[in-house]
Amino acid sequence: MLLSSQVFVVAIVLAWTGGVKLFGPAPGLAARRTALDRLVGKGRELTAYRAVGVVELLIAAALALPPVEFAEGLAATALALGFVAYLVYARRVRPESDCGCMGGKGGPIGWRSLSRACLLVLASAMAAGAGQEAASPLVVLAGLAVFVALSAELDRYWLLPLRRLRVRLSHPLAGLPVRVPLAAGVEQVERSPAYRAVAGLLRSDVRDTWTEGEWRFVSYSARYQDRAATVVFAVPTDRFVPEEVQAALVDESTEETLWRFAPTASVGLA
Amino acid sequence: MSSLGRRRFLSSAALGGAAVVGATAFGSVAPEQALASPSLELDPALPDPNFAEGRISAITGSMLMVTGSDRTLHRIHVTDGTSLWKLRPTTFDAIKVGDGLYARGLKLDDGTLAADSVWVNIVNLTAHITAMERDVLHLDHHGDRVVGHVVAGTTAAVYNDTPAVSDLSLLQVGKHVQVIGAWRPDTNEVDIATVFAAA
Repeated sequence: MLLSSQVFVVAIVLAWTGGVKLFGPAPGLAARRTALDRLVGKGRELTAYRAVGVVELLIAAALALPPVEFAEGLAATALALGFVAYLVYARRVRPESDCGCMGGKGGPIGWRSLSRACLLVLASAMAAGAGQEAASPLVVLAGLAVFVALSAELDRYWLLPLRRLRVRLSHPLAGLPVRVPLAAGVEQVERSPAYRAVAGLLRSDVRDTWTEGEWRFVSYSARYQDRAATVVFAVPTDRFVPEEVQAALVDESTEETLWRFAPTASVGLA
Repeated sequence: MSSLGRRRFLSSAALGGAAVVGATAFGSVAPEQALASPSLELDPALPDPNFAEGRISAITGSMLMVTGSDRTLHRIHVTDGTSLWKLRPTTFDAIKVGDGLYARGLKLDDGTLAADSVWVNIVNLTAHITAMERDVLHLDHHGDRVVGHVVAGTTAAVYNDTPAVSDLSLLQVGKHVQVIGAWRPDTNEVDIATVFAAA
């Protein structure tokens, strides 16, 4: 029963993978993502990809239709061994390539695609040893479930919804300490009239930042009349109002304030 | 000046606690003014001389020895006026041998680069979220798995181009995000500075 069930597992898996290769969306793109062009030559990868699909469908049909013969299982085993060999080869010559087993979007070849191919070898070998006894639908379903679990291409149909549900039930990133991030302060600075006035003098990215009460301070290095200077902005932390950002241009060596920008006053007050 | 004293002085300058001595007449604050800064004159066929990137191979004093990804050797001066970023604005002692960096500054005559800004280990990833755990975002970056660590108090989220917030609870599994972060050298892990997402 266990062996004869594998006949159907292998038949369904091969029908599936062959069907995707022949009738799936964008076969040209899927073929280009694989490392087939390295194996058969550039420009022939789509033909090779389709040919594999045809072979898969033929073997699947032969397995599914009675009578069950040793040769069918043997052919499936040989094909599956070919897949394993191809995956090892593709991983070596082009590690970033897609396995192409079930169309595209499987991601780079990893332990999942390799163990899936090895499992197909095992199931095919078992199918080759099957007699005439009836298959068990339960064993077939269980076998298929293992193949689905190992297929990165199918994750979005079952794994992603499960993870979404888990996040909806309790978001793992909720409850972080609430504070106004630096990025919000820098954005206020960059949208402020004060920044427009001095942006041309700034030489550096944010050099230092600190908060005092409801103000966040952000300092930058600047160059003014051929001397090194510092521009410091004061940004309100409790509201987003770029118009209220204040600024000063300071010479740190002499501790002199060379220029100040206050939102209500005019610039350059002595 | 100590760091604390410096900050106190700068704070009071920004908020108007000190008298302005320069009395320089600055131009207007109109947008045209912002565009009037002198433009860079670069030969498009040559690499930008005022830029360097690579991995730090040695640190001597305040000089960083950097091996570029094209095997160019850069010597980068870090001064008091250099801004240093490593996940957040930071200080020189946070920089380690093996870190990657991008630096911008001025190429001096002796071939060294006097850095204005140095960004250490900075990465910019377009990815989608494949899973979430406590303080971790698992990302798929064009087929590569990247582990994004959330740093409480530093990691910020920008939703739909609104101002950054510290609340990450609007992130969803399966959604596309852009991540600015600091790479942990020689791993597939990053610490997340800002994550941009739709909500």
